[in-house]
Amino acid sequence: MELILQSIINGLIQGGLYALFAVGLVMIFGVMGVVNFAHGELVMAGAYTIWYLHAQQGLGYLPTVVVAVVLVTLIGLLMERFLFRPTRNDPLAGLICSIGMLFILQVIATLIGGEGPSKQVPPVFQGTLVVFDFLRIPNQRIFALVISVAALVTLWYFLARTKLGWALRAVALDREASALQGININRISMIAIGVGAGMAGLAGALMAPLTNINPHMGHNVIITAFIVTIVGGVGSLSGAVLAAILYALFHTFMTVYFGGTIATISGLLLMVLVLIIKPTGIMGVRISE
Amino acid sequence: MGMTRRDLLRATAAGAVVAGTASFPGRLFAAKQKTVKIGMNIPMTGDYAPWGLPGLYGCQIIADDLNAAGGVEIGGENYMIEMVAFDHAYDTEKAVQGYKKLVLQDDVKMVMMLGGSTVASVLPWAQRKKMLTTTLLPSDITPDSEYLIATCESHPLYNVTGVEWLAENYPEAKTAAIVTNNDAEYGLQSAATYKAAFEVAGIDVIDVNLHGFDITDFAPIVSSVLAKNPDIFCMATSFYVTPLMEQLYHQGFKGKIISCTLDYYDEIIAKTSKEFVNGTIFQFPDFDDPALNQEGINFPNPGDFDAKFRKDHPNDWSAVAWEYPAILLNWLEGAKAAGTVEPTEVLKSLKSSDPVFIFGEGQWWGSQLWGLDNAAVGRWPVVVVEDGKARIREYRSVSGWLDKNKDVLIKHMKELGLRTV
Repeated sequence: MELILQSIINGLIQGGLYALFAVGLVMIFGVMGVVNFAHGELVMAGAYTIWYLHAQQGLGYLPTVVVAVVLVTLIGLLMERFLFRPTRNDPLAGLICSIGMLFILQVIATLIGGEGPSKQVPPVFQGTLVVFDFLRIPNQRIFALVISVAALVTLWYFLARTKLGWALRAVALDREASALQGININRISMIAIGVGAGMAGLAGALMAPLTNINPHMGHNVIITAFIVTIVGGVGSLSGAVLAAILYALFHTFMTVYFGGTIATISGLLLMVLVLIIKPTGIMGVRISE
Repeated sequence: MGMTRRDLLRATAAGAVVAGTASFPGRLFAAKQKTVKIGMNIPMTGDYAPWGLPGLYGCQIIADDLNAAGGVEIGGENYMIEMVAFDHAYDTEKAVQGYKKLVLQDDVKMVMMLGGSTVASVLPWAQRKKMLTTTLLPSDITPDSEYLIATCESHPLYNVTGVEWLAENYPEAKTAAIVTNNDAEYGLQSAATYKAAFEVAGIDVIDVNLHGFDITDFAPIVSSVLAKNPDIFCMATSFYVTPLMEQLYHQGFKGKIISCTLDYYDEIIAKTSKEFVNGTIFQFPDFDDPALNQEGINFPNPGDFDAKFRKDHPNDWSAVAWEYPAILLNWLEGAKAAGTVEPTEVLKSLKSSDPVFIFGEGQWWGSQLWGLDNAAVGRWPVVVVEDGKARIREYRSVSGWLDKNKDVLIKHMKELGLRTV
């Protein structure tokens, strides 16, 4: 029972982080029709910002988190303006551009941090919360969970309760019809990628004290993000959040009871199964031609 | 009156003679001065870079020192040492490309490599070219790999010394759990060795937890292992020691920790606490350790080397920082004894007597496991973190353990599907 409860806590914390970067990928795909392969590198850029400005230069952690979000948002905006907008009518060109961007960001990270060992960021919130004498939750992870939930709730509010959010969802549903209604597609695209990239930057900033930071850390992130996106339903933000939490719990329990190797394989099998049984994902909807 | 054309020609000719005369002794000296190139076909970028790049830095320190002292005399000729490195980024195709470049274009006399699939990919070519090649993984040795030797690190055989020491000093520790990567090159080799060492020491292995390289969260792994209440938590490979240690700390582990390596342990202390890391047992010393100044250590001025390295590359020290230099020093001994830099002769010279093993008391070993005695094994240090600093507690004999217990090791290697003869 203790192990089950500990695993649920571990899974929820991981799920919050998965959701942060997965919703960004879904949003960019939904609004712009681009599969952004560089999304993992946006997470990496957020983590590197924390390592460089906080761990190396001594800037406070919380201000650096803000800087990381702003910086990665700017990277996202630049990608939209100079890569994705010119290739808007050619999804393959957009995809190739995102792969190019992936390598560019990796090289920049290498130039800043050098090759060699993974970078480490000491936890800012030291200590461990012990509940019922057996549940142990590091304070840094609690912080990551709280901020993840707050960011996701804010995003939900933005999408569900603001005109800009409605416009964004409308463009995701039908870009041409939205344009005919007077919605500025360029502006909405920039908002989509700005928000998506910002969420990725936040995920990276929260993950920085919890993981090994290196220029290639985006690989694992993008694989997880794709699994979550496909399981949740491509284009469905609520599906992505739900799938992130379910997948994180699934992966955590598989790791605990069957080991990390089986957990990885079963995660990919889960994605394949969803594609076969319910190709639209948990919350995706089939759109008739 | 101005200078005539004849004056100009005369002055030019005179200048040329003066210039030629001035550089003559230098050129005469240069004619005697030769350069021998040593190749490093290693990962300098990517995930494996920490096991390549620090080795190049270390070798460069040794080469610079030797060159500053006038070079080395081999066979009556004076040689400067030049390190030539190729970054294969742990990619087999690049490894082959780099190997050919080093041998054919750069004319190196030895190629140092990390090991694993990158070595396997160049082996046929190394055999054809009879090129002396070194690895840090003696499990790369095959019955036919005559030109491949492991003269320094015998990964992961040295792990037996740490377990032996732990069992003697902490007899109350009776159960162990092993966590490692699931790859056959590093993780499973290490897991098999630890399993054998624990069995010989009378310690039950209650869990072997294997994971891939895609793990980003180690909390579930540590929760799963700690639920089995092991007395000893054993980390068989070093890719993820920091996050594992961090989780052990947060999840309140109170037992003994043993690890193959503990690279960047100061960062682990920063993420946990000095008190928590104290007592962790591993196998790779810092080179400012006073125990390296003992008789029988075959590495010149380890303390100076450590200081130079950390001054120039303050964040890059890892186990390989001194291992590739130790191999370079082995090669020098072999070349001096052979009186030539030619690879086949140097190899013959190295193999003709017991190896000059870095920690002393070495012997050629390996035929029982891999079909060829091309791995130098000897005594190896047991390192323990004390007051936040890695210190050698004792040297123990790897070869002595292997002589008595190789059958146990072979049994565990076979259980994990690893190649043995």
